[in-house]
Amino acid sequence: MDGEKMPAIGIPRAMLYYRYGALWEHFFQSLGLSTVLSPPGSRGILEAGTRLAPDESCLSLKMFMGHVDALVGRCERIFIPRYSNYGYTEFFCTRYEGIYDQARNIFRSSGQRFITCNIDVQNGSPEAKAFEKLGVELGFSPRQSRHAWHEAARALEQQQKTAEHIQKELAGKPGMKVLVAGHSYVLSDPYLGRPILDYLESAGAVSLRADALEPETARKACARFSPTCRWITSEEIVGGVLLWKDRVDGIILVSAFPCGPDSMTNELLIRRLKGKPILTLVLDTQSGMAGVETRIESFLDIIRFQKGEMV
Amino acid sequence: MNTGNAFLGIDVGSISTKAVIIDEGNAILAQEYIWTEGNPIGAVKKLLGLLEKQLDRETWQIVGVGATGSARRLVGSIVGATVVKNEITAHAVGTTTFHPDVRTILEIGGQDSKIILVENGIAVDYAMNTLCAAGTGAFLSSQARRLGIEVEEMGQYALQSAHPTMIAARCTVFAESDLVHKIQMGHPREDIIAGVCRAVASNYINNVGKGKKICSPVVFQGGVSKNIGVVRAFEDLLRCPVIVDENGHLMGAMGAAILARRSLKRTHFDFSVENMEFVTRERNCGGCSNNCEIICVYRNGTLIDFWGNRCEKGALRADKA
Repeated sequence: MDGEKMPAIGIPRAMLYYRYGALWEHFFQSLGLSTVLSPPGSRGILEAGTRLAPDESCLSLKMFMGHVDALVGRCERIFIPRYSNYGYTEFFCTRYEGIYDQARNIFRSSGQRFITCNIDVQNGSPEAKAFEKLGVELGFSPRQSRHAWHEAARALEQQQKTAEHIQKELAGKPGMKVLVAGHSYVLSDPYLGRPILDYLESAGAVSLRADALEPETARKACARFSPTCRWITSEEIVGGVLLWKDRVDGIILVSAFPCGPDSMTNELLIRRLKGKPILTLVLDTQSGMAGVETRIESFLDIIRFQKGEMV
Repeated sequence: MNTGNAFLGIDVGSISTKAVIIDEGNAILAQEYIWTEGNPIGAVKKLLGLLEKQLDRETWQIVGVGATGSARRLVGSIVGATVVKNEITAHAVGTTTFHPDVRTILEIGGQDSKIILVENGIAVDYAMNTLCAAGTGAFLSSQARRLGIEVEEMGQYALQSAHPTMIAARCTVFAESDLVHKIQMGHPREDIIAGVCRAVASNYINNVGKGKKICSPVVFQGGVSKNIGVVRAFEDLLRCPVIVDENGHLMGAMGAAILARRSLKRTHFDFSVENMEFVTRERNCGGCSNNCEIICVYRNGTLIDFWGNRCEKGALRADKA
């Protein structure tokens, strides 16, 4: 080593990072630990991840392993939390629960150290407790750790409020509006979902996002629609669709192949939401955007036809 | 002398390339249908040669050109199209012009399939197959080959069957192994062929048509609509007549020509592109780890268009190509 200290904590910019990233970063930073993020998602990262991840896993998990790969050897510990459940009826997709152990196994010969925490209310470990334990494991007192958690939770809440506020302003804009619904880590990824949002913008449509909403509000809306929806992140997306749908001209459901939860909830939305054009886009490792562009272009034409505009 | 304005529409699909020239009243002045044979540029040049012979160029001047189909971008830049539109919109516009009362358009092509729902002459909803090409023309061609007949003959064979064999239709790969199994079990050939046609129709209704209310009148087009076996299968499953227009294969090109007519953009198209040399090259950008595949199109050695780059870096690289 050249004597320069490596950042203490590496965070893969993938999966739940796009949902809870603000919480994690603020937690470590308020403990005075330096953090490093993996580079933005790209084809190179996806290719690396595809080589590393089990070949039948979802596109997002492949992308995730590529991000872990980019951090190996660049930080003291890579942080991958295990998100399991928020209680007896609220679950996370098993991917989020398993990725820490999968990553440790995939990179077992790299010498890289990892660190995790368990968000598992069923087994007596809610978020606050999990992060307190994490802080203690990193050498801080329980009090310091609790303080850092409170700071971090506030930061996340603030971020979600801002996102919702921006969204409300967008919803008030004139012109054609399209609601884009999908997991945050698909939509926000510069390689996967961003091109869709960029394409919509270049085609003159305002895109709103189903995931830009305070999670509590969204989950409540989903509970009225489908009381048995199993997955927390899916509840948030479905709730977002329900709360924004009347302010848009069409809905695009974006899913990364083969996402189990999406295959249930997208089907549910298609069957139950009537009167709004809905387009489903399934992303896989194809590198061309042509198929996706054809579908979005014709979708926007359908909306224009409906509005009586000349195409 | 040139008196009338005419509009050219070109539809370049994976299997076939279609073109029409229409006048201001949508009357067809020239039309042609040839195989793409994996060479969209060659096909378009050949097609233009054939159209040129049909058109009375003393009377008509082409002032608008529309391109559609999966090679629309490439062909659009070669012929200098005034309108480049996706095939769903083009089909919707073409079909509603000739069948103003249509409610449902079924379309099965060589590589994709789509459904367009129409209300009062306006397309209101559509669906397209996802990335999987199950149950399209490509599936029928490969099954015909397996059964040792021409794909064009399938329909006639299917009509002779009284008891179509049940073939699993969910996935092409499974359908194929199911089909082989039924052949080996001794099912008569015409029953199997009728079963394949039925599988295409039910696969379509269960996938592309899922959750869509299919109302009559139904118009069926795309290459597979030439297969009478599939037409009968649709009629059985939907319990309503299915209209196959004799110009059904031209609807995409018609739509493109109509869109060119409606657009305000005008050009002065002559058939000179037939004699120009077009070359495409693929370049890997390498500007970042996305390593975009950029397609560059050259006319007589000069770069005229490029695409495939996700950012401006790629545009700079294409310029330097």
